[in-house]
Amino acid sequence: MIGFIILVVFIGVILVALSAIIQPKLADSIILFMGVGLGSVVLFFIFKAPDVALTEAVIGAGISSLIFLMALKHLKAAS
Amino acid sequence: MSIKRTLPTSVLSGFALSGVFILTILKLLLQNTPQEMQRAGDSLLTLNANEGVANAVTTVVVYFRGFDTLGEIAVLFIAALGIGLMLSENKRCTIKAQSNFMLHTGAKLLFPIIALYGVYVMTYGHLSPGGGFQGGVIVASGVLLLLISHRDFEVPHSFIVTLETFAGVSYVLIGLIGLFTLDVFLGNFLPHDIRDMGILLSGGIIPIIYIIVGIKVGSEMSMIVQNLIKRGDDV
Repeated sequence: MIGFIILVVFIGVILVALSAIIQPKLADSIILFMGVGLGSVVLFFIFKAPDVALTEAVIGAGISSLIFLMALKHLKAAS
Repeated sequence: MSIKRTLPTSVLSGFALSGVFILTILKLLLQNTPQEMQRAGDSLLTLNANEGVANAVTTVVVYFRGFDTLGEIAVLFIAALGIGLMLSENKRCTIKAQSNFMLHTGAKLLFPIIALYGVYVMTYGHLSPGGGFQGGVIVASGVLLLLISHRDFEVPHSFIVTLETFAGVSYVLIGLIGLFTLDVFLGNFLPHDIRDMGILLSGGIIPIIYIIVGIKVGSEMSMIVQNLIKRGDDV
């Protein structure tokens, strides 16, 4: 059962990451990048690394995506 | 400068290459599972018992690799400095949009809880998962919530500078005290008995250093977020 969950999350993370690359709009890419972070949190937690999972949840899925979004706002203002 | 991108053939070949890499890694992982091999984790866990800290990851990050952590927070400081320098030529923006009642009240209600959770993660970093980096970023995300909901809110610059200077100087001072008393930079000069493992006051200097790291990371991330929001065009 746990192996099935790992397999589903693993394949899902890879698919979300691939679709984040091919999005034509950068804002959609950033939202999908947050999804990659969310799936990684589940994987890290299952693989008994709660420290890394907490770091990824806070930094990877949370604040780095918000910093990307704000940088995108500055980019759009500059162009 | 256009934001839209196209999908060239190099991206497709990149997909194929990454697929080959993933298959190779999976094959290696499935065939070569370590059984009799001496693993680094075992010797680290044996050494961890000397310091009396329940969370072995914290011992590695703050004690065995304490000098690297000092370098990491220096890297974060340089990143915050770079963002501040890049955005310093922009004028301060005036936010005209007024946040609605729900966001206003919800942010006021949630900020103390977020800040308390961040301080908890910082303080209990040597007992449970978490630590200075995570707790500092949680506090900074609470500051971000206040920044996007209250248009007049701003953390005073002098306050952040004071906190950050205090944290950086005391990290180096604790390292120097260890150097003079035990001949090791960042030596554990406070009592750290194995029998105290699991209570809040255990592990000698390790929880103190993690709290200092949390203060430094929290103030730097708050400064980055505040610079990115408050400098730029009007919204």
